[in-house]
Amino acid sequence: MTHSLESTHPIDTPSVLQVRSLNVSFPVGRRRLVAVEDVSFELAQGESLGLVGESGCGKTTVARCVVGLQRPDAGEVSIDGAVVALARSRAERRAVQLVFQDPFSSLNPRMSIGAMLNELLVSHDLAHGARAEQRCRELLSLVGLPADALARYPGSFSGGQRQRIAIARALAVEPRVIVADEPVSALDVSVQATILELFADLRDRLGISLVMISHNLAAVRHVCDRVAVMYLGKLVEVGVTSDVFSDPRHPYTRTLLNAVPHVRRDPPPHRVRLEGEPPSPLSRPTGCSFHPRCPRAEARCTLEEPELLDVDDLRGREAACHFRDEPMAATLTLPTTEPRRFNGS
Amino acid sequence: MSGPLLEIRDLSVSVARGDARFAAVDAVSFSVRAGDAFGIVGESGSGKSLTLRAIMALLPSAARLEGGEVLLEGRVLSVTGRRARVERRARVAMVFQDPLSALNPVRTIGQQVAEVPRRVLGRSRAESRRRTIELLGLVGIPDPVRRYDAYPHQLSGGMRQRVAIAMALATEPAILLCDEPTTALDVTVQAQVLDLIDKLRVELELAVVFVSHDLGVVRELCENVAVMYAGRFVEVGPTSELLRTPRHPYTLGLLRAVVDLDDPIGFLRPIGGTLPDPLHLPAGCAFHPRCPLASPECAVIVPPLVRVDVPHATLPRESACLHYELVEAP
Repeated sequence: MTHSLESTHPIDTPSVLQVRSLNVSFPVGRRRLVAVEDVSFELAQGESLGLVGESGCGKTTVARCVVGLQRPDAGEVSIDGAVVALARSRAERRAVQLVFQDPFSSLNPRMSIGAMLNELLVSHDLAHGARAEQRCRELLSLVGLPADALARYPGSFSGGQRQRIAIARALAVEPRVIVADEPVSALDVSVQATILELFADLRDRLGISLVMISHNLAAVRHVCDRVAVMYLGKLVEVGVTSDVFSDPRHPYTRTLLNAVPHVRRDPPPHRVRLEGEPPSPLSRPTGCSFHPRCPRAEARCTLEEPELLDVDDLRGREAACHFRDEPMAATLTLPTTEPRRFNGS
Repeated sequence: MSGPLLEIRDLSVSVARGDARFAAVDAVSFSVRAGDAFGIVGESGSGKSLTLRAIMALLPSAARLEGGEVLLEGRVLSVTGRRARVERRARVAMVFQDPLSALNPVRTIGQQVAEVPRRVLGRSRAESRRRTIELLGLVGIPDPVRRYDAYPHQLSGGMRQRVAIAMALATEPAILLCDEPTTALDVTVQAQVLDLIDKLRVELELAVVFVSHDLGVVRELCENVAVMYAGRFVEVGPTSELLRTPRHPYTLGLLRAVVDLDDPIGFLRPIGGTLPDPLHLPAGCAFHPRCPLASPECAVIVPPLVRVDVPHATLPRESACLHYELVEAP
């Protein structure tokens, strides 16, 4: 059985991207490390999905499968309802484009921006000659860069501008889906917001579907309609972003949210802290893989692995926790930290 | 409490790029008392890390100290050379962003930490081992006796940073300088390491200087903060008041550009323009080309960092803006 996610969009909106029961493992010595286990999700036209979790949880591996850079052991990726082959056709490659984390290493330093975009347009037979040049200028204005950028080289741009160029390059082939892997984490604080704004804008104006991988939960909340939380290779909670963040039903989601420092208000006097670190995927705990760190865990959690199932009364929410139907604040008494003590107070 | 434990006066550092030199840190002054944490916030290239390295007398070869004093308990320290490092050795310690580069990959973490009490404090081999196990326990490494023989690659990023902190504490320093120690870590692990630094500050009465690009992290940890732009402190004050009622337009811009978890959706308000090239800093206030409050005199006068009035504020605030009273609420 697959856990296809109910979209917030009307039922008749066909899904642009469908990922079904993805499994990926890597050889480590004589053993196999299971990096992704039974991950399924759908993405509608113009929808954006945030994929969040700690490093090593498998989120980047999922992204690599979606763009075709990683061959899954099992499972399939469909674009517009058609399952893509392992060796993707040119059209299938065009349909899903990747934006990398580091705009300094993902652009060829010896190619002008114009030449870079022009090559793409010509090689995909999208435009030639004067029309291609016209299209390059359109692409630059779409990502908020001046037309004179065409003649310049990546070295003369700042980090934020380079990320705009990387996005223009992804847009050049008119993709259905953009997969962005930590698109702002290498950028300065004052620039991050401009790139997030650009993604939100492209989604709204061009109807592009977006999968954004990020450890920055605030960024995901601002750009993504829905969020999928991963832990040790599995989805543990999925739902509408603002709902998930205000009423998380998996204890892991809650602790993840709790760990984010706030800028505009003082830290709460007491807070939930996640103990320990994610276990190695090579020695996965029995039952629920989160149970050794979980404040809510009971004996059952060490034996029975919870499936990703619908949460009662919450539309479009799924969580992989035996206690998903209990709102958390009401039932949990969690260990908290001591309040901060300053000399003056 | 008596005077400050660490005092920095007019610290200036220049950096060579090609044939030219530019001022990377320009007349920075602050002080920290024992048991206090002071934050320095800025974007890349603002000079925050160089400030720390200058205090530690660990400037990279392209950088040169141009002036200023570092005082430890009121006593002026040498600022360069071997003598400067000897003076700091048992008093000032530093934790870096990337714990892997601070650890030797082919020696066990126990050997590396134990080397500090043995070499620096002249303790016996057995005493150093005992102290190391105690330190590993103090920084929250589970089963320190067994982990003594672990190699860095066998530990996670968070655990490595804990080892780096244990090594920094091994000299029993009075001052802990932290250069973005949590930037490479996941949020959950970052929260744990911040809790640890805070615990150590209180328990060991450490004076902490914490450099970060993340206002949220500094708000969690530091009572006082300086906001740095293009090598200068542009605003200094108590962290939570400063973030509530900024008195410099750059502080406001940074605050507005950061997305918080509980902000309303669509709250993104980026700062216009880009960080200036340090070789060609704008005349006058370095922030004026990006500043919504800039007036003609801002392109001429370099505003000094001076005490300013803040309505309803209880603690002193300094700002380097001619129009500080016009800065809006975030």
